[in-house]
Amino acid sequence: MSIEVPSSVDEFIQGEKEPASSGVVVVLGFVSMLSFLILYGILFPGRDMPVVSEVLPMFEGVFDSGIWFFLLGVIFGAFSIVATMLTEATSE
Amino acid sequence: MDVIVSTLAIFWLLLALSFILIKRGLWIFNDVAKGLSMFMLEKALGPATDFVSGRSGSASTTWIIHGLVWAFASSTFTFMGLWLSHDATALHSFESWGYHPDSSELLYAGRLTALFGAIGMLVVGASLYALPKLCGTHLASESNATLVSLLWTLSVLLMFVGSQNEQILGITILPVANLLLTLASTALIINVILTVSEATQEIPFPAWLIVYAFIGNIAAVLAVFASGAFDEGVGQWLLFHLVGGTFFFCGLAGVSLYSVSVGSGNPLWSKSLVAFTLFGAIITINPMGSTDPSMVVDLFSLSSNDLDASSRDVIAGSFLMALSAIPIIAFSANMLVTLRGADAFVENPDAPGIAELNLGAWMLIPIAIGSLFVQTDALGGVNELTGISQSIDLMAIWLVMMPLSIGSALNILPRASGRHQLSANRSRWAFWMMSGGAFLGLLITMMSDFTDMALTESMAEQGASINMELRKVGSVMFYGAVIGAIFHCTNTISGQYRGRIMGGPSEASLSSIAIESYTLTGPTSIRKILASGATLDTEVSPSEQSEEEGAPTEL
Repeated sequence: MSIEVPSSVDEFIQGEKEPASSGVVVVLGFVSMLSFLILYGILFPGRDMPVVSEVLPMFEGVFDSGIWFFLLGVIFGAFSIVATMLTEATSE
Repeated sequence: MDVIVSTLAIFWLLLALSFILIKRGLWIFNDVAKGLSMFMLEKALGPATDFVSGRSGSASTTWIIHGLVWAFASSTFTFMGLWLSHDATALHSFESWGYHPDSSELLYAGRLTALFGAIGMLVVGASLYALPKLCGTHLASESNATLVSLLWTLSVLLMFVGSQNEQILGITILPVANLLLTLASTALIINVILTVSEATQEIPFPAWLIVYAFIGNIAAVLAVFASGAFDEGVGQWLLFHLVGGTFFFCGLAGVSLYSVSVGSGNPLWSKSLVAFTLFGAIITINPMGSTDPSMVVDLFSLSSNDLDASSRDVIAGSFLMALSAIPIIAFSANMLVTLRGADAFVENPDAPGIAELNLGAWMLIPIAIGSLFVQTDALGGVNELTGISQSIDLMAIWLVMMPLSIGSALNILPRASGRHQLSANRSRWAFWMMSGGAFLGLLITMMSDFTDMALTESMAEQGASINMELRKVGSVMFYGAVIGAIFHCTNTISGQYRGRIMGGPSEASLSSIAIESYTLTGPTSIRKILASGATLDTEVSPSEQSEEEGAPTEL
């Protein structure tokens, strides 16, 4: 007599808690990105960055005061209030 | 013409009439009036009342959360206004969208949203919980009060729009906002009077302060229009200060005195001082606020007139403003002594809101004295102190009215909603950011004002560079108030869902040396137990061990 055993579990499984080291991967990615940007400046001195150099001039004359640094904080704060309302109301 | 005394006479008469009507009722029409008013508050609104919860405390919670969000908005507008006072073109990129931000307009928006949005909504929210408790009853209509908060918020939103753009599609915005505000105020007054009519105990003085905050607001408007003073500069100035003395001062005093007792666990120090606060606030003219009554002119769509007071008006106004020192000192002293109590702080002194109440009570007297000098100077037409009037006005808002309203609201919110703020620590951070930012920011801005005044007096051709630097530092410092407001908002909103349940076991410890249990081995004093690191939540358990000297066991 033989028992039929499924060849795979066929279930999507996701952990409830975030592993502590997962943040390291994000930081590693961020540091790598900065390193490559610096490397580009060393390898191709004086040459504009592709895509970025075409997008940035659009904002010339817009964020040309220190107040924008603070307003970014205000915008972040406003979004954090809205996000808190939404996540707290919808979380189980 | 003697504008001030004649207008005040009508104002006092209206308040006396309202007191008699509240105490004596409407004779045989009482039941009809009550039934009709309840119908107007609930049934007449149709299905709209079904959208909101009629749970006890829900109205208060809604108003307080709206108020905190407006505190964030108003601090942002004030910060931007202060920044643009030294860097006028900082936001010129908005001009491509047809918006031309200006320092004075943004400061005006900050004042409107702070007064009616933040302070107004926090005071109303706290009142809707405190008044029924003080009267030993329930709020007449929780669902109507909750709905009205949306109307009030809409009117404050229109105030912001109107402060930036006077007319849209040919409609002047600020009078429309004022109309909505009056509609909301009328519904609130009916709700408040119905609640008071169901009182099951003698109404204490803080409750009368709250009642007169609502009634006094409407009475002030009626008095100024009945006396015909609305078309004169003095009448407009008087209306501004009567509303400040009733709705804002009486409202703040009522909810602050209630929450200082509830929050500290100490009985209110003096009943007579509350009576002085109430009668003083009604009889005198509160000096706090701007010297420029343009807010009244804009909200009521009046023709702007110079503050050209007659000599009798100057004498009457100055005398009545000086008299206001009595209710202000009485209120401040009562708050501070109640906070300190007899010997120990019964409740947790680190609880959210206590520090704000303490700050507001401390700052009240110096700022009121400063305002008195500035107002007397403006009323007398001397105008030597006009340069600092804006800073004094902002100080009154951000160092007296905002701390007192936020402090009361933070004390009352857990009792109304059933849950504490998410984190007492974040609440403390918010206090330090808001109070530190507002205090230092406005103090440094005032230093710059004084420099400006000195330069104007000496007729200097060029401004001092240090002046702009001071304004820059002042505006950056004020940014702390914005961050503090964000902290308060997120902490309160999260607390509504995940905060510790009210009445549950306390987790807060007073200090690192606080002990959880104390073993009582013999008679001792409470002072000795407290000195050993025990707190009011420490469990004292008598020990069965004897302290008698031991001896060999007899066989």
